[in-house]
Amino acid sequence: MSAAPSAAPPDNDVLWARGIVKSHNGTPALRDVSIGIREGEVLAITGPRGSGKSTLLGCLSALLPVDRGEVWFNSSPVHTLSRAGREKLRRDRFGFVGPEPRLVPELTARENVALPLLLAGAGHKAAYSAADDWLERLDVTVCAKRRPSELVQTERQRIAVARALAPLPRVVFADDPTAPLHREAQDQVLRILTSAARSHQLTLVLATHDPELARYADRTVALVDGRTPVPAAPVRRGTPVPAAY
Amino acid sequence: MFYLRLVRGYRVIDLGRWLLTAVAAAVVAGFLLRALGLALSDPPVGATDRLLWCLPPLVAVGWFAAIAARAVPAQRPERMAGLTAAGAGPRWIRLMIAGEIALACAAGSVVSLLVFLVLRNNIAGAWLAPDLGMGVALPLAAPITLLTLLPLAAGLAAAFAVPVREELPGGADPAEARHFHPARTVLAGALALGGTLTELYGLRPAAPVDPHPLRLPADLGRTSVNLLIGWGIAALGLALLTGPLLAFAGRLLALGRPSARRLLAGRGLTDQAGRLGAPPAVLALTVAVVLTAVRQWVTPGMRSGEPLPAAEAVLITGCVTAAAIARLTELRTARRPATATLHQLGASPQLLFGAAALRWLAGGTVLLLTGGTTAALAAGILRS
Repeated sequence: MSAAPSAAPPDNDVLWARGIVKSHNGTPALRDVSIGIREGEVLAITGPRGSGKSTLLGCLSALLPVDRGEVWFNSSPVHTLSRAGREKLRRDRFGFVGPEPRLVPELTARENVALPLLLAGAGHKAAYSAADDWLERLDVTVCAKRRPSELVQTERQRIAVARALAPLPRVVFADDPTAPLHREAQDQVLRILTSAARSHQLTLVLATHDPELARYADRTVALVDGRTPVPAAPVRRGTPVPAAY
Repeated sequence: MFYLRLVRGYRVIDLGRWLLTAVAAAVVAGFLLRALGLALSDPPVGATDRLLWCLPPLVAVGWFAAIAARAVPAQRPERMAGLTAAGAGPRWIRLMIAGEIALACAAGSVVSLLVFLVLRNNIAGAWLAPDLGMGVALPLAAPITLLTLLPLAAGLAAAFAVPVREELPGGADPAEARHFHPARTVLAGALALGGTLTELYGLRPAAPVDPHPLRLPADLGRTSVNLLIGWGIAALGLALLTGPLLAFAGRLLALGRPSARRLLAGRGLTDQAGRLGAPPAVLALTVAVVLTAVRQWVTPGMRSGEPLPAAEAVLITGCVTAAAIARLTELRTARRPATATLHQLGASPQLLFGAAALRWLAGGTVLLLTGGTTAALAAGILRS
């Protein structure tokens, strides 16, 4: 911890981590990662496969407990939370899109999208109207009554995105959300994610192995072998998304 | 050698499958050898009957072998993925699983044969002498034929049951849920209703006394052919109706405006009803028949002291229960990704436990209903 900056993080950091170390059954995944994420920004975490992106997202989203180091959300510690506390945080404040859709197979698309709201204790009507709303925004209303096994991968991934956004969480974690998609669908999904983040003041943490896709972000952090070798790149806020494709 | 190395990595569930198969096989081999021994000491009387008595436990062991073999790839997808990556094709995996079950059966049979041979050596008292065919030379072909039968039957049942998938296990979606065809549900309902009505018609107070009652084996008393046929049709219908009823119970659970718990429990039950398939229905039917038989046996004056039916009832119930457990563990592993998703969404263990409890409650009620009806109908047809 001697090398870590001792200064308190800026007040506008909604989520920050300092010196986190995490290993999976002895395989080191994160060796000393410090990162600060500002309220309402779109942050890209880039790095090749195996660089620890998914583990970092897991630690930041309170899914995995850290071995060492600190994670703070909204000026309250996450690393000291109990299992139940972390579950509540994930349920009420965070949304997650993974590299695979991972929908609940026995529920219809609509029920899958409404599920996080139902889990958080929202009313039936509110949950399903939000679900319908987000299914429409992601252009998958026709799939509402169907089950994941009857859909194609692109539709499933869009439903997973709708599920992450429907409860309007404070932070959305997207771990390679475009991995199962073709390029045009990648573009659409990332546009929807980033525009939803900007219009609803959500913070979006986007992990991707494709440096091309980092152009959607305000800021990029590179991760190599479980470390952040270069300090966070200078802010490129407002970089226009290249229109040519 | 390779098989032995694989066995070194076995967990409790794999060893349990092996041991259970071996024990069940040993017991069935014991029945077969007893039939042989009796045939040796007392050839003409009832030899075919005694061999036929060995058929239900043989079928039960084959049933367990098939269900357990089918569950193996799903129970440990990572192991199958490793074997596939090492170059083992679906046929090799099928051969390995079927071979393992045949080996367990062979081991159980050999133990039984050894005990049989040792006991024949004038160790057992005189009371066992007729069962072992003591004092009569044993034709070599007979025990060998009887004992190869068991590994062959169980191995073949297992080989046909192992799913052949070309893709890597765990790579694609687990087998999609099967929906019950409405025609099947209607047919099952009609069978159950028709069988019950046939039986009730035969049992009406004004019914004439059957001049030629049918004497049931295993001290089960008497009945008439019409009643037995009625009960058989009703039991078949109820067994076929179990799956659709489970799915319907799931729908009922998720009716209206369900909470997350009720939604997950109900949809999960509907989905699993299709995947569970026959084992729960077979379990309910078997337990119903066995309980009826036990009720008959404990009635004073009904029991003649023959131990074979009771031993068979225990073995068959054990095999059928183990098959249902094997299917449940298969489904549980298939649900791992869904459980991980729910965990990621922040669903608390209490909620998941509550959903599972609701599902068990609804499923148990359905099985109690079908099994209980089958047992009640079975008790109705028996006359002392």
